[in-house]
Amino acid sequence: MGKVQEITVWASGVVQDKEARDVAQCLAAAAAKEGKFVQGFDNYVDLPDRVNVPVRKYARISDSEIEEKYLYENYNPEIVILVEPTLVKGINVLRGMKGGGCLIVNTGRSPEEILKFIPDKKPLKKVACVDAMGICPKAVIDFSGSEGAADAAGVGIGIGAVLAGAAAKVSGCVNIDSLMAVVTNAEAARRAFEEVVIKQL
Amino acid sequence: MRDYTVKIPKEKLLPEAGIVKSPLPNSEQPDMITGGWRILRPVIDKEKCTMCKTCWIFCPDGSIEITENEVRVNLKYCKGCGICANVCPVGAIDRVPELDFDDVPVRLEKLF
Repeated sequence: MGKVQEITVWASGVVQDKEARDVAQCLAAAAAKEGKFVQGFDNYVDLPDRVNVPVRKYARISDSEIEEKYLYENYNPEIVILVEPTLVKGINVLRGMKGGGCLIVNTGRSPEEILKFIPDKKPLKKVACVDAMGICPKAVIDFSGSEGAADAAGVGIGIGAVLAGAAAKVSGCVNIDSLMAVVTNAEAARRAFEEVVIKQL
Repeated sequence: MRDYTVKIPKEKLLPEAGIVKSPLPNSEQPDMITGGWRILRPVIDKEKCTMCKTCWIFCPDGSIEITENEVRVNLKYCKGCGICANVCPVGAIDRVPELDFDDVPVRLEKLF
């Protein structure tokens, strides 16, 4: 089995549940379009139906077949995406990151302001900030639960597309063209790809 | 008769989603520290506060602490729901973005 690139998306429960799910699903679907082996799923141990509880969504991308079907958590994430920037304070979002990782935060603040709240910066290689609500002022809230049963609004229509576009630029895990083919709001993904503020460490 | 019970060591048991033991009287709930959920922090203006204790009644987490001459918020458990700011009759509670503050009241290593 080759190297598996693990992506963890953190968000607030219910209010950002769909957008966070879209980030993970869009990145996985875009990588699948490039012929890679992918997985995209939610963490069921979190409390997904309580408002503002921290929830996690996962994606895995690999060049060869992913064998770890029964690991329900990304223990060593390489790319961490925060849909809710405040989570950088409340919890160690970089837990398990081995080195050369990326942190992508949905905020209008500068990467330096975010770095202030991270005590251990060793595993990080890049910190990026993108003002998702500024690029696409739309965060879809749905109550279809975390399984993504009925997604009437469209996958990647709000800030999820923006964060996926930023992740494509910062980490290079997917190509922006294949991502734009997957998301509904392709223009937002393109703008995020161009406007994301990256700080190298 | 054979015993078919499977004995699983405690550390290998699956995490119980959302199930938290009830706290003992006059104690904290260390299994469910909710301070990390907070997006907007309630800040009490001591000039305006009349000590009416309405926020203490309404706080769903019991995070309002009343002392002799001031009202404080327990930031370890306050999840920033904003009910206190909404019910305050004199408007003494303001909600400020958590990232504006440099102090970190709660920093969990992992969720559960």
